Amino acid sequence: MSPAMHEFLGRMKRLFRGRRLESEMADEMEFHKAMLRSRYLREGMPEGDAERAARKSFGDQRRWQERLRELWQFRWLENLVRDVRFSARLLMKSAGFTAVALGTLALGVGANTAVFSMINGLLLRPLPVPESDRLVVLNYQAGGPQPEYIFCTPFFRGLEKRQDIFANVFAFNSDTMQVRGRSGNENIRGVLVSGQYFAAMQVAPLKGRYLNPEDDRTGGSSEGLAVVISENFWRRWFEGAPDVVGRKLVIANTPFTVVGVMPKRFTGVNPTERPEIYAPLSVDPIIDAPRDHINAGTHAWWISVMARLKPGATLEQANAALEAVSTPILRESADDARYSQNEEKHHFHFAAEPGSTGFAYVRFVFHKPLVTMFAMCGGILLLACLNLASLLMARGAARERELATRLALGATRARLVRQLLIESLLIAVAGTALGLVLAPLVSHSLAAMLAGNADGMVLDSSLDMRVFGFAALIAVTAAVLIGLIPALRATGGDLNEQIKEGQHSSKARERGKWLPRMLMASQVALALVLVAGAGLLATSLVRLYRSGVGFDPRGVVNIAFSMDKQQLEGDQLMELYRQIGEGLRTQPGVKDVSFQYIVPVSHRGWNDRFESPGGEKQLIWLNGVGPEYFRTMRIPVFEGREFGWNDTKASGLKIILNQAAAKQFFPNGDALGRQVVNSHDKASYEVVAVVGDAKYRDVRSPAPAAAYVPMQQATEKKISLNAVVRMEGPWGPLAATSRALAARLAPAIPAPLIRPMDEFVDTSVGSERMMAVLGVFFAACALLVTAIGLYGTLAYATARRTSEIGIRMALGAQRLRVMVMVFRENAFVAAIGCGAGLAAAMMLSKVLASFLYETSPRDPMVFVGSLAALAAVACAASLVPALRAARIDPMSAIRCE
Amino acid sequence: MIREENVESGDLLQGTLEMLVLKALARGPLHGYGVAEWIHQTSQQLLKVEEGALYPALHRLELRGLLEAEWGASENNRRAKFYRLTSEGTKKLNAETQRWARLSAAVAFVMQAS
Repeated sequence: MSPAMHEFLGRMKRLFRGRRLESEMADEMEFHKAMLRSRYLREGMPEGDAERAARKSFGDQRRWQERLRELWQFRWLENLVRDVRFSARLLMKSAGFTAVALGTLALGVGANTAVFSMINGLLLRPLPVPESDRLVVLNYQAGGPQPEYIFCTPFFRGLEKRQDIFANVFAFNSDTMQVRGRSGNENIRGVLVSGQYFAAMQVAPLKGRYLNPEDDRTGGSSEGLAVVISENFWRRWFEGAPDVVGRKLVIANTPFTVVGVMPKRFTGVNPTERPEIYAPLSVDPIIDAPRDHINAGTHAWWISVMARLKPGATLEQANAALEAVSTPILRESADDARYSQNEEKHHFHFAAEPGSTGFAYVRFVFHKPLVTMFAMCGGILLLACLNLASLLMARGAARERELATRLALGATRARLVRQLLIESLLIAVAGTALGLVLAPLVSHSLAAMLAGNADGMVLDSSLDMRVFGFAALIAVTAAVLIGLIPALRATGGDLNEQIKEGQHSSKARERGKWLPRMLMASQVALALVLVAGAGLLATSLVRLYRSGVGFDPRGVVNIAFSMDKQQLEGDQLMELYRQIGEGLRTQPGVKDVSFQYIVPVSHRGWNDRFESPGGEKQLIWLNGVGPEYFRTMRIPVFEGREFGWNDTKASGLKIILNQAAAKQFFPNGDALGRQVVNSHDKASYEVVAVVGDAKYRDVRSPAPAAAYVPMQQATEKKISLNAVVRMEGPWGPLAATSRALAARLAPAIPAPLIRPMDEFVDTSVGSERMMAVLGVFFAACALLVTAIGLYGTLAYATARRTSEIGIRMALGAQRLRVMVMVFRENAFVAAIGCGAGLAAAMMLSKVLASFLYETSPRDPMVFVGSLAALAAVACAASLVPALRAARIDPMSAIRCE
Repeated sequence: MIREENVESGDLLQGTLEMLVLKALARGPLHGYGVAEWIHQTSQQLLKVEEGALYPALHRLELRGLLEAEWGASENNRRAKFYRLTSEGTKKLNAETQRWARLSAAVAFVMQAS
């Protein structure tokens, strides 16, 4: 063992067995002294002299015992412990300051960590599969500004076939599967995966085997149709039965064999989903019946494609290989030569991009809001640090004399800076710890707000090593930011001058005035930016809600029935819906009941081209609705009548136009009773009413031209409709009733999903709402923090000028003058900060433009309002110290000297 | 650190003291007092090792693993801390002995030059 190692271990030992070593040291000394004495006695000295001589020869025992001790200790460590203790004591003494410091920092760190953990969960965390960095996401360029990520089946099969490019190519699409349980069908989240999916994932199944290319052939392998299930589903559905492999599962009324169970840590390639069933891609016509995405060829765009690079191959090589096969695949895929020629003109080609984090479509939706939120949080944290720095600096100024005295007594500057830094580090670490406790709460509620937007989205925002690393980085950065400048400044002064003039040194104050002022001004500026941003987001949200949706969502619940896998169809199915409607109408509190095919503002849609006789083709949005739909939804019927149960296919095709559509087809305003023709099948529809405009796909876009057809005239045989129920009182009891109703009338269907309409509206504006809520919260915090900062620094500064102010007053200064003098200090800082902040806000608000609804990013009202808010806060924060200064009693202030 | 009796005081280097301590222990384990005595006797009473230098040197050597310490009974039956050379210590002593021989020879050459 090297001497250095030995030394380290010896010192470590002393750390834990210090007392024993200490007593051994004393014993050793004692022995030595005794030996000396006995020698002197032997040499013939008298008893007393021997004792004295021994002591004399030995010297000061304490002094060199101290030297031994130093030898054995980690000097820096023990100094550190001493500094930490001292700093902690100092912080305890000024509890108010510490509480403010911890509070602001915890807020900043908590918010940052929360948002970072979401960004981590959504964008950064690699998939839990071996060598995830070898995975790539495939896309194709087809003339648009952005690459496209949703493939059609022939493109994918073409890529899958060419095995020389990648080790594996695989496709997947999330799906809801109707699985037969003990009482009817149940909706289970699943994913359709192509043959090489599991081979590319390289995660061993918990039981059985995973799906392979054999299973992905039409009709399945020789053993029949196969599925793999998740560990969770195995435990829930099969109660963890050990013989699950080989058992049957009836999905979409078709028997499948469970061939394997995937372990819990395997989440598939989409980190925001937790599929329970993995079925082969080729069974899509069964599971998605009556739709068929596979035989629809280039008309169904539905799957995402990823691949695993060959060992040693680079992304560039893969891209070059993809480029070469692009045109051949395009040509063999297209059943229409015109289509492929058109695409070739736009230089159609496939490309690969890094895919270690898997593929989640929601990323495209949430990327920008999350990054914007992160920037807001960063702003708050910076504000907290600036605030603490200026408070610490004010405090350091008040401690000038203490520090100067310590310097004079021989402390080195490095030591003092270290101690002051430890003080700020203590604040930072404690604040970060508090923030980390808060973070999961915040990120849970944020994730809930976000997830409301995307059905069934799972956002794993749990704290992992990356998040902790981030928090530690924040803590250290914050400590240095808030501690270093004040520490260097507080210890940098001229020693003599400070001791001589002490706390009344006017020179020192003048010298260093600009730095705290600059800090405060940047705080004000930062706060203004945050307040203005929040103002814009909130104004836009209010305008969005005020714009209305064209129907009254309050008190309406939507009950979704999945009818696509049961036996009834056509008129029989309509009869079933009528019975369900009757059943719902008799429930307590229910006023109106109707049905709709498309739920408005749910981001879903159905459109087609129609034309008026002699008019042009127009693309309009469509919906299939039930009788009394418009009364239920409170959409005004301007002329004509609602649909009734008699509007069947046999009674002639009917249509209801909204105002916008009526104006498009019949500019002269005589729509009622006229005919519109479907441009596709030339079917002619009679217009029976004109109704008010309503928002269709989402709340942000203005109400488009739309038309309604009776649900009985739908072409889809097993149409799944939503009941809309307007009711008074709570809708909770309706959930159980509708389940019971469905179980009685249509036992085969999964339990209907019930959701109030205003929730659809809220989720449609989900990211806007979340950003506005967060923005306003952060703005309020920013105002509070700025107020504390302005108040704190001014209060310290004024306290230090007590005697000066006393003298001024004794010499005849008016109280009002004194007040103005103190107040002016902050007014100056606030004015500069506001100016800078306004300019910054003007520049930065452009970033928000894409989130804003009918609000200019330079909305003058918002900016004036933000300025006013900040000015009010700054005035309030400065008035208190100013008033206190004006109330100084000159006599006691001077005597204090 | 080391006081030379009857000679005008002149400090020897710390390394030299450590070398002497190692040498003293080469013949077998000794306690601190024994080390001081041995150096005193062997140097014909010319070198007297001060306690304030001896013990830090002993502890430093122990800390570096060149010595091992053990508590045992002394010749007059008291509890004493005995130091013993480790193999590292022996190696160090050999190296120091050679270094010292070269150094003193070199100094002798210089001093004897006419």
